[in-house]
Amino acid sequence: MVQSNATRTLRILLAWAVVLLFVFPLYYWVTVAFKDAREIFDTPPNVWIFSPTMKNFEEVFGISFGFVTQREVLPGGGNFYMAPRLWDSIVIAVLSTALAVAISTVAAYALSRLPFRGRHHFVAWVLSTRMMPPVAVAIPMFFIYKDFGLLDTYTGVILIHALMNLPLAVLLLKSFFDDIPQEIDESAVIDGASRWLIFRRVILPMAKGGIAATAVLCFIFSWTEFLFVLTLTQTGLKTVPVVSSSFVTSTGTAWGNMAALGAAAMVPAFIFILLVQRQLVRGLTLGSLKQ
Amino acid sequence: MREQDRKRYLADLTDRYVKRRIGRRDFMRAAGKLGLGLGALGLSRPFGGNFIRTAEAADLKPSDEVLAWVKDVSKPFAGTTLKLATESTPPSNAINSQLKPYFEQASGMTVEIEVLPLEQVLQKMTLDIASQLGTYDLYYIDQSWAASVSRDVFDPREQLAGKPELAMPDYNIDDFLPALVDGIAKYEDRWVGVPYDIPIFIMMYRRDIYEEMGFSAPKSLDEYLTQARAITKEKGPDMYGATGQMKSGHYSLECDWTAWLWGHGGSIFNADEKFTGNDERGLEAMAYWDELYKTMPPGVTGWTWDGQGQSVAQGVAATMMSWGEFFPYFDDPSATKVSGLMEAVRCPPPKHPLRTVEQTGFGEIPGVGHQGGSSLAVSKNSKHPDAAWIFMQWATSFDTQVLITALGGGTGPTRESVYDDPRIIANRRVGPGTTRHLDVVRETIANDMGSEPDLPQWAELSNDTIPVRLGKYFAGDYGSAKEAMDDIARAVDKIVAG
Repeated sequence: MVQSNATRTLRILLAWAVVLLFVFPLYYWVTVAFKDAREIFDTPPNVWIFSPTMKNFEEVFGISFGFVTQREVLPGGGNFYMAPRLWDSIVIAVLSTALAVAISTVAAYALSRLPFRGRHHFVAWVLSTRMMPPVAVAIPMFFIYKDFGLLDTYTGVILIHALMNLPLAVLLLKSFFDDIPQEIDESAVIDGASRWLIFRRVILPMAKGGIAATAVLCFIFSWTEFLFVLTLTQTGLKTVPVVSSSFVTSTGTAWGNMAALGAAAMVPAFIFILLVQRQLVRGLTLGSLKQ
Repeated sequence: MREQDRKRYLADLTDRYVKRRIGRRDFMRAAGKLGLGLGALGLSRPFGGNFIRTAEAADLKPSDEVLAWVKDVSKPFAGTTLKLATESTPPSNAINSQLKPYFEQASGMTVEIEVLPLEQVLQKMTLDIASQLGTYDLYYIDQSWAASVSRDVFDPREQLAGKPELAMPDYNIDDFLPALVDGIAKYEDRWVGVPYDIPIFIMMYRRDIYEEMGFSAPKSLDEYLTQARAITKEKGPDMYGATGQMKSGHYSLECDWTAWLWGHGGSIFNADEKFTGNDERGLEAMAYWDELYKTMPPGVTGWTWDGQGQSVAQGVAATMMSWGEFFPYFDDPSATKVSGLMEAVRCPPPKHPLRTVEQTGFGEIPGVGHQGGSSLAVSKNSKHPDAAWIFMQWATSFDTQVLITALGGGTGPTRESVYDDPRIIANRRVGPGTTRHLDVVRETIANDMGSEPDLPQWAELSNDTIPVRLGKYFAGDYGSAKEAMDDIARAVDKIVAG
């Protein structure tokens, strides 16, 4: 189909408009991180031109760029040093993603390839665990965690995030495995390969894209999860979404500091997605062509 | 290599890497030779403890006598870890970020303070009480929760009498302002901890705007409304005469409502413990509020105290009858546009005589100066109640309160003697953490303070039932104020009746 120049231009403009619609809030949030407290609430807002400062990053990360001079009192006597919380988020998101992907890959392969009684019911059961609102589970989990000594520990939060992501990861990966023709398995069997060898050497490399896509989703869900971390942690560790709320003080919200932490928190997630980007695109298109 | 050549070589190197002419490893190796390491990017200690300390922290230290007592009495508890969940308030922040190390060093204990927004503190405390697990040793108790938790904490008077060997010399529990003990830390005959902080409504206004308009501090609520109207008419839409904390469904909206209700001689409950916000006085207050609302900036119905404070700090609103804790923040030139321009006075007197405690229900104390204080108490579920009691005495002692007031940004002390301390008086100058408003706070506590009723259902009523319906009223969901208040009356009475 040949497109006229006008149509093509219109499509490009529309595409740019959609992109800007998504990018603008991010851009504005990042600019808040670089603004002085007095500039954040300027009316009309200084969207494009302002005096950038690293002050908010200095207070949040405890790194001196020379912008913060010695002050008599921080706002509300506050302590906005949150760098360790970013590290907590990274550890929890990476390890819970690795755990969820490791378990769900094996489970999804079994559900896709191994014939056993009640397989379809099993899939429905896996899905049903996503139907329960997290808030209904959070308080019972608090008691269980207290008894098992998992409260306020990395292990506890990693486990709950992995558990939270497992159903979705299993179902996603099952659909990716389903898209790989059974004939490939059968050919490998004829060549004398065992089921484990087929999984490891044949199917797994072919499903790399799907695994990457699943990992990205697990990572993002863990990175942004709030309720379980709030309920199951105290002072030992916290993730970025939970500590972001501690910028809300009785004498106002430290928007600049909150934006600095938020902007910095986007970087690890962005890096993770960049690392798996090639596989991700392949994974997202894997199921688009049926044989 | 000359600096200029080094930079040029580095630029070429980066260019080659970006254009994929060299690999990442080669780029890093070459860049490293040029001194472009993580250190050059300021990332050599990404999570290092290079925290910026305040200048005053070095000058203001706990007294040696107090620390000697902490050291002596804490010997059996060395190695104990104490936990407290608290709102991010000036006292908690000052203790957490600056004073705690002194206590830890002297006592050998570790104090872990979890700083959260108020509603999350309530969630954590409720879960801890319901489970009786003792995950927290101390509770930060907002005055609106006092009745709900009164049986779950130790009465400090009993602790003082029961464990004289752990009592701090000169702790002087009678030094806490009596009005605060009644309004914050008492439920029926028990003390629910000791008063810990005291945000309270005072009147704050822009001196420059008032001078320009020929106004003086309002002497009545009607005069305040007249001034607000005049400022909005003269300076709007760049500046408004009043502002508010009127977010639908938020506790702050209930706080604003009580100030106007009490200010017009009304009350939340009568002596029969029935809701009376819908009586003649209550409706007069709503009519006043409706008029004042017209003088406020657009968007005020989406603001809590945060938005309200920001509207004054950024020069959008000229006056505010709200939490005095904001005043030291307004004086901070690095954070606001009104440093040195604000004045603090007592709220205008009520339009009609205040109802007495006997005329109201559940211990409600009407007064234009709505207080939102909190107390600190040792949990009965704590596994280390004696250690927690030592910390609590230290955290609420005269010496620590002086340091909190000086370091924590000019927050209102809960002890009478702290107001007269020379270090606090010396801080009465324009600047962050000023104490030049504290005389007004002290007078308001003594004369104008209004306290919400004490009943176990009050946390639900004040955080949900009342502000949700008030929010609907300002959204236009009711035909009249009478209709809204009658609906609130039905809902409140039903919950109170159980």
